[in-house]
Amino acid sequence: MKIRTLAAVAAAVTVASLLAACSSGTNAGSGGGDGKTLTLASVDQGSIEDVVKAFEAANPGVKVNFTTSGADQYQQQIRTQLASGTAPDVMTVWPGNGNPGATYVLAKPGYLLDLSDQPWAAKLPDAVRRVAQYEGRTYNALFGLNGIGALYNEQAMQKVGLQPPGTWTDLLAFCKAATAKGTPAFALGIQDNWVTQLVLYALVATTVHAADRDFDTKMQAGQASFANSPWTTAMAKYQEMNASGCFQRNPLGTSYEASQELAATGKTLGIIQGNWVVALLKGKNPASTYVLKPLPATDDPASFFMPAAAGAGYGVNAKAKNKDLALKFVNFVMSPEGMKVFNGKQGSLPSLPDSGSAVDPGIAELNTFIQGNRTVPFMDQLWPNAKVQQTMLSGLQEIFSNQSTADKVLAAMDADYRSGS
Amino acid sequence: MLLFAFVVLVPSARGVYYAFTDWDGLSPDFSWVGFGNFTDMAVDPNARQAIWHTLVLAVAITIIQNGVGLLLALGVNTMIKSRNVLRVFLFAPAVITPIVTAYLWRNLLGPDGAVNSLLGTVGLGSWRQDWLGDPQLALWAIVGVIVWQFAGYSMVIFLAGLQSVPKEIYEAAAIDGTGPVRRFWWVVRPLLAPAFTINLMLSIIGGIKLFDQVYALTGGGPGHATDTISTLIYKEAFTLGEFGYSIALAVVLTVIVAVASTSQYFVLSRNERAAS
Repeated sequence: MKIRTLAAVAAAVTVASLLAACSSGTNAGSGGGDGKTLTLASVDQGSIEDVVKAFEAANPGVKVNFTTSGADQYQQQIRTQLASGTAPDVMTVWPGNGNPGATYVLAKPGYLLDLSDQPWAAKLPDAVRRVAQYEGRTYNALFGLNGIGALYNEQAMQKVGLQPPGTWTDLLAFCKAATAKGTPAFALGIQDNWVTQLVLYALVATTVHAADRDFDTKMQAGQASFANSPWTTAMAKYQEMNASGCFQRNPLGTSYEASQELAATGKTLGIIQGNWVVALLKGKNPASTYVLKPLPATDDPASFFMPAAAGAGYGVNAKAKNKDLALKFVNFVMSPEGMKVFNGKQGSLPSLPDSGSAVDPGIAELNTFIQGNRTVPFMDQLWPNAKVQQTMLSGLQEIFSNQSTADKVLAAMDADYRSGS
Repeated sequence: MLLFAFVVLVPSARGVYYAFTDWDGLSPDFSWVGFGNFTDMAVDPNARQAIWHTLVLAVAITIIQNGVGLLLALGVNTMIKSRNVLRVFLFAPAVITPIVTAYLWRNLLGPDGAVNSLLGTVGLGSWRQDWLGDPQLALWAIVGVIVWQFAGYSMVIFLAGLQSVPKEIYEAAAIDGTGPVRRFWWVVRPLLAPAFTINLMLSIIGGIKLFDQVYALTGGGPGHATDTISTLIYKEAFTLGEFGYSIALAVVLTVIVAVASTSQYFVLSRNERAAS
């Protein structure tokens, strides 16, 4: 009996010990590189493979050992590796703050190499530089820009004979017309909670940031709050869209994957997503074509803004075994050649203006908004901690399932925001 | 014992130490916060909800899985022709990796998934539900998936117990004119006591530690409607970087598992002794 009980206790205690095992910092990752083998961890499944191939071809004799994984798994793994000194030379790092693998989070304890003196660092546009830096130094090679908006399936739209709406009033009418024709306007897969934020961000860009470009600065200075700002308007519009039948039935039981299926096969007329989903939609239905438009949040199209921001980039481990090779790799990623491969494969826009990459005609409008300075970074990138976003994501699911209200969720986000970094 | 201490006890004790700090899992600097993480837990509605869900899941799974497992065992212990095929068929889900079955069921239970389609086809369209998206149903959908997968496992243990009951006892009871229900209650049930002990112990510990199926089926959502202590530990540590708080939750989970399994063991082994 004693042994059995002890074993049961020990088995459960292991949960705690597994977490604790991450704490023992060593310098296992430092020094000793052969200058020919680069280690790399990435979340860019489906595109990093081609970049690695191009890099190896451009540098004969060099071998890149790389691993790819999903964002959740990657963030868990990279923290453990960094803390134990076993991280790869080059790794995916997200811009700004707000998630466990973000620039501020990893640069603050000194895990990332300062890339400020690399040739591309000074050329980054201001909005991108802001999220590639921590305390004025650049740590992240951000190669691509992504935007969020309403993506319309052109074949499905043609079939029902509807045009993309140009104003908020048109949008609600469009939703009703689409429902009447038996094809809901937009697919929404909020069983995966990160998806909940996309419609809200698309609305907040116009309702909050177009009217007040300094909203983030005011938030940081404690002069503004979510609960007493047009975030309430955006929340109300999100709910109004739901009530007007803009989304298919049961969005909470629909996964991101299932929502792609709906939009790609024309069971909905489109999807409110980032441009990164285009490649996935085409994977499900190669014959389909898409056009990305801003989601109308007011009746004045001149006031529309789109959320657009740098996607995940690459950072160099401060204790990289092959520092020179690692720098060579990030510089390749930021070169016109590297950007062409990466952005072409991902369907994103290059972060440097002179990269010479061609823009996919389906996302041309996003490019116009970026060039016209009518974009705002994804809202969470400038928030002080990861908790604000998580509170928003689960809060939105609670609003959709009538477990909470917009006011309560915004108040909780304010409380998390004020709790600081 | 030395190896056990080195591999399990020492790292575990070190782990517990971090429950009293504000360590973020990354920074080498952290400070001692005493019982701060535990007092935070007491006022954190998400933690209280997760503890409640964990207990509901553990109790529901233990009762339903073993109830179904016992009925299946009694069914396939009869002399019906297809009993061997049925045994294999019913045990099969238990050998599949839980994460795989969870993803499978996530699709089956979707709004346009096979379960709703089937209900529509057999004329029960009004029973169609958003099984995983409705906070009232999601927890029970998880229970259903786990029972589907592991009832066969419980069945096998009960079946082993049933097959060790000597035939003579059955026959003697039958000659004395005892009906099947009374025969089960007074003859078979006491002899199954060791099987009950093992099954209840395994399912209560499994239920309390539940992580992968919940994470794959609902991710703890919608909102926090199906978060368990284990999913919250994961989220706090790896999404929010609150390792200190997360380890404090892991310590609470450890205590719950230890208390539940120890007390259950005492009660059941006393029953076993009484039955023998």
